Amino acid sequence: MEKQSYQYIENPLHVTRREFITIGGIVAAFLALPAVWIKMVTSSNNNYILARTKGLYRDDEKASIRVSHANKSVARYYKEFGGEPLGHLSHELLHTKYINRTKGLS
Amino acid sequence: MISQKTILKHPLSVRIFHYLLILSFLPLAVTGVFLYFKPLSESAMNLTMQIHVVAGVVLTLDAIAFFLIGFNRVVLFLKRIFYFSINDIKWFAILGGYPQKILLRKKVVVPSMGKYNSGQKLFGICVLIGGTILIFTGWILWALPHLMPREAVSLLGTLHTFFAWVLTLFLLVHLFLGIYMFDDFKAMILHGKIPYDEAKEMAPLWVEKEIISISENSY
Repeated sequence: MEKQSYQYIENPLHVTRREFITIGGIVAAFLALPAVWIKMVTSSNNNYILARTKGLYRDDEKASIRVSHANKSVARYYKEFGGEPLGHLSHELLHTKYINRTKGLS
Repeated sequence: MISQKTILKHPLSVRIFHYLLILSFLPLAVTGVFLYFKPLSESAMNLTMQIHVVAGVVLTLDAIAFFLIGFNRVVLFLKRIFYFSINDIKWFAILGGYPQKILLRKKVVVPSMGKYNSGQKLFGICVLIGGTILIFTGWILWALPHLMPREAVSLLGTLHTFFAWVLTLFLLVHLFLGIYMFDDFKAMILHGKIPYDEAKEMAPLWVEKEIISISENSY
């Protein structure tokens, strides 16, 4: 508890009710602006994602080969060269490793 | 004769808010400058970023808590910093008499000021607007960049850097003048009180219009 060793304070009624409501309303309106902006940009961002998803599904429906194990080229690769899926040679040739590229980007 | 009477200028809630502001904004400013110039090794820069984020979270919580708990003081602060008169122009014309006082040891007549002088009002506006933008942009850049379009994130990054520099440079002036006005410095850091005579000289309009004796306060 604060010890009252002072003789004067600010008048607690220095702000009138009308001023309080006006200033409080302006603050609330200003704080709502970023929320509206975020809603706008994120919803348009989601539109791109939705359009991309729709395009991928459409391409998939149209494709004659829709799964990798039905792909004749892949089957031929394993039969004539790669051996078996997840085999040693396929692992060496087809799997990628993590490389930190952040330095190159910055 | 100098009176021993004092005014409670900074109540405990304001002082706690200010302590947390010091604890969060100073590390934010220092780490922010390091993050801008990137002078350290990769691991040290990672640590710098982590400190920046933690201090940013503390600043956010401090601001939200004060906004909710001390909303009446936020309103009062806004009323004061956005109230301008002809005295503010006159004050800026002589920069509050500080250059004359500090550099030439000469005292000039300064227009009557309220609780905040014109420079403090300008600083208050920068802190309010800049601080809000920094918190807002900082959170999006750190936690939510994947939700925003790339152009929007880039714009927020530029805004964050711009206002960070404005507030960091203003902070240097604030620290200097804050300590130079030593009674006010002690009031904000220690006990909240300022001598009545000092307040009457520095902020005559505040003392005249807004200050009441405790015995009058019987609401």
